[in-house]
Amino acid sequence: MTTGEDTPEGHRAAAPETGAAAPPAVSVRGLWKRFGEQVAVDGVDLDVPAGRFIGLVGPNGAGKTTTLAMVTGLLRPDAGRVLVGGHDVWADPAAVKARIGVLPEGLRLFERLSGRELLAYTGRLRGLPGDEVDERATQLLDVLGLADARHKLVIDYSTGMRKKIGLAAALLHNPQVLFLDEPFEGVDPVSAQTIRGVLERYTGSGATVVFSSHVMELVESLCDWVAVMATGRIRAHGPLAEVRGDAPSLQDAFLELVGASGREPGQSLDWLGGGAR
Amino acid sequence: MSTPPGRSPSRDASPAIGTSPDRTAASTASASPSGAGAGAPTTPDPPTGAGSPATARPSAAASPTGPPPGTAAVPPGAPPEGTAPSGPAPVSPRAPSGTSRAAGTAGATPLAAGSRPAPPAAGGAAVTAVFVRLKLSLLRNGLRQSAGRRAVWIISLVMALLFAALHLLGLIALRGNDHAEALVLSLTAVLTVGWAVMPLFFASGDETLDPTRLVMLPLRPGRLALSLLTASLVGVGPLFTLVLAAGSVVAVAHGPAAAVVGVVAAALVVLVCVALSRAVAAANVRLLTSRRGRDLALLSGLFIAVGAQFVSLAVQRLSAPGGLRTLEPAADVLRWLPPASAPAAVRSANEGAYGAAAVQLALAGAALALLVWWWQRSLTGLMTSPDGSTLQAATAPGRERSREGSGLARLLPAGRTGTVMERTLRYGWRDPKAKTGWASALGIGLLLPVVYTLQGNGGPYVACWAAGLLGIQMYNQFGQDGSAFWMVAQTISSRRDAYLELRGRALALALVAVPYVVLVVVISLALLGDWGAFPEALGVSLALLGAMLATGALASAHFPYSIPQDSGFKNAAPGQAGLAWISMLGGLAVAAVLCSPLLALTVWLHLSGGHDWLWLLLPLGVGHGWAMTLLGLRLAAPRTASRLPEILTAVAKG
Repeated sequence: MTTGEDTPEGHRAAAPETGAAAPPAVSVRGLWKRFGEQVAVDGVDLDVPAGRFIGLVGPNGAGKTTTLAMVTGLLRPDAGRVLVGGHDVWADPAAVKARIGVLPEGLRLFERLSGRELLAYTGRLRGLPGDEVDERATQLLDVLGLADARHKLVIDYSTGMRKKIGLAAALLHNPQVLFLDEPFEGVDPVSAQTIRGVLERYTGSGATVVFSSHVMELVESLCDWVAVMATGRIRAHGPLAEVRGDAPSLQDAFLELVGASGREPGQSLDWLGGGAR
Repeated sequence: MSTPPGRSPSRDASPAIGTSPDRTAASTASASPSGAGAGAPTTPDPPTGAGSPATARPSAAASPTGPPPGTAAVPPGAPPEGTAPSGPAPVSPRAPSGTSRAAGTAGATPLAAGSRPAPPAAGGAAVTAVFVRLKLSLLRNGLRQSAGRRAVWIISLVMALLFAALHLLGLIALRGNDHAEALVLSLTAVLTVGWAVMPLFFASGDETLDPTRLVMLPLRPGRLALSLLTASLVGVGPLFTLVLAAGSVVAVAHGPAAAVVGVVAAALVVLVCVALSRAVAAANVRLLTSRRGRDLALLSGLFIAVGAQFVSLAVQRLSAPGGLRTLEPAADVLRWLPPASAPAAVRSANEGAYGAAAVQLALAGAALALLVWWWQRSLTGLMTSPDGSTLQAATAPGRERSREGSGLARLLPAGRTGTVMERTLRYGWRDPKAKTGWASALGIGLLLPVVYTLQGNGGPYVACWAAGLLGIQMYNQFGQDGSAFWMVAQTISSRRDAYLELRGRALALALVAVPYVVLVVVISLALLGDWGAFPEALGVSLALLGAMLATGALASAHFPYSIPQDSGFKNAAPGQAGLAWISMLGGLAVAAVLCSPLLALTVWLHLSGGHDWLWLLLPLGVGHGWAMTLLGLRLAAPRTASRLPEILTAVAKG
């Protein structure tokens, strides 16, 4: 585990400097999952420091979504352990589920509820008192710019609005660790900025955000700790500056790590372009 | 190949034009200016890979025979719409008009199209072969997902074939019977109605080829419809129908001429059935996806269900001894009603009335052409118009606003139970899938008892239909959530949570089902005029409801399957339909067994003359149902809690 003392980004200054001493927010050991012949996650070991903005990056098919699904208890791993805040995800689901918030990618919400109803439903399922849920829901809808759309069915929301209402549902019970799978995918810059603001405020208070993405610029500007994943394994992890190393940008470091740099199409697509078919 | 030119006027007139059909028309026409090749869309057709450019192009003009029956039969349907362009010769004037217009609208392509050396014009047969292969691949991949599903599919296949074989033997045994033809015609009619109803209510075997997924392919709707029709013929259902149609022909055909007619007739029956099914499905998916048309589609579904009910009742009555004779009047009508007119042609051929036979076959052929035409129109509509949710998005909010703070939440219990109930009831109203399920259960649950009672077939226990049909709503609870089940899974961290979740859903169902069953009992007894049977009728019905809730909870935990949400007419993902059916039928059987003590007591009280004690059946039935529900929920909860990821995986497919 490498909890770097250096905080590369300015906005981390507000975060409590407890990283080195605190136990990891999420601890993954030997996580392994196979779908038929395809090994999706091939032995992942990772300790995620608490109170940070963590980026899980990797190309498509690297196993990010599968890993996050297993870490959050949505998919049973073939082997391996996951501890969140010291609690085993599979042995002690009650303790873990109360501590985490999830925004999965590719799974639906209860879309025939309005935004407000969805939050009310989620909060009450989580066992929060009704009044508290309604108050938090109102604030979240306000902050995320969904107040006007609160009576609209979620199925009529745009992609960005869906991500925001999903984020609101994930934050409602004030989890210690938030897992977001591609939270900025298909989101317009305005919504992205809103989401970003909320997440920065959230990590600023000591909570941990783990999010997956393949947009390196975003990860570089947002995260202070990254794990690079490719073909089901963690290729590198640590503070952003460490992973980036000497490379000019995270993008270059990433391409180097996953062995994709310098791959040019060459002559194989010479028919492409030029008008004639 | 005369089909696509015949189509083009209607498409030219349609407003949504800039999409693939026109691009196809443009490239085709410019590539083969003679106009003769206009019928063969160029179909660069990425997935094909089959039609090698060099060989396929010359053959496009030279081999105009696609799938034979549909193509040959279409031209009679074409003239009415052919009036618009006012051209005397049907083919040649239209192709150039398509070219000029397309050159104007699709401005991006003319240069490329003009310099294009050899468009790889895959023939109709090649496209069709691709679709058939695609169908088989989808079927195979659906089955490959799990061994259990494969077993279930094979079992359902074997059962269907056994059933068909029994029918076949029966039909062959009827050969020579005076009323064999009447039965054959009625059977064909029932089969046809069944095919029409099937896509509305049940997962058909053929939703794998969703036409809306093929939008981007440069295929003309006419070609697409014929190819899809051919692909639709692959499956258990068409095979079943073919066996029955063949048996029907065997039952009535005497002599070589009749045999020849019979082969054509059997093929026509199968084609009409499949085309009808596809056309109804396509028409309804459009209705179901447009939210405004949803209620209408719902009604049309119920309407067809009612019709099917009457047909089945009639069949039941006519199958009584000597009942075959009463079919004769119906047969006189059916003889000229496609597709039953096709097997009727066999008898005409028997009797040497070849003219009549030809007319009857032509009627069936025309029906096929009409159905393909209708289907194709629906396909065009589906592929070129935005789906209803887009149109509706802007107008939705007003209605919901008034619902805020409705009394619903206050009346329900607090905590997880009330939350789950509220969501379930809201979904029953807002989610088209859930709404269809509810409406069907409520509608048919009342209809069947009333019809049976009016027909004199009813007893005091007909209300069990309502209990059973409403109880089926408890099945596959998590599949009804689809992949949104993750939100539930995230909040279930103990058996207690799982129990509360299941109980909330069961309570929401019971909140509607219990009063409704009481109502149906009252109505059916009022029609029957036998109020003395009230306690036993209600007791048995409620016990059955309880048993269904119990088995439904268990089936939800043990046999979850996904319900595709993107389509109005699918109730199970490809390859899962068998699992759905078997879990439901198995659940029904188990529920009946669970109720058997009560039924035994009822029978015993009746036989032993203990009529004074029949009132006991009401409290006993209620208690029995209650206890079974509790037990079922208790047993299902730990299973649910320990299998959350597996359930999510199962319901998130498709």
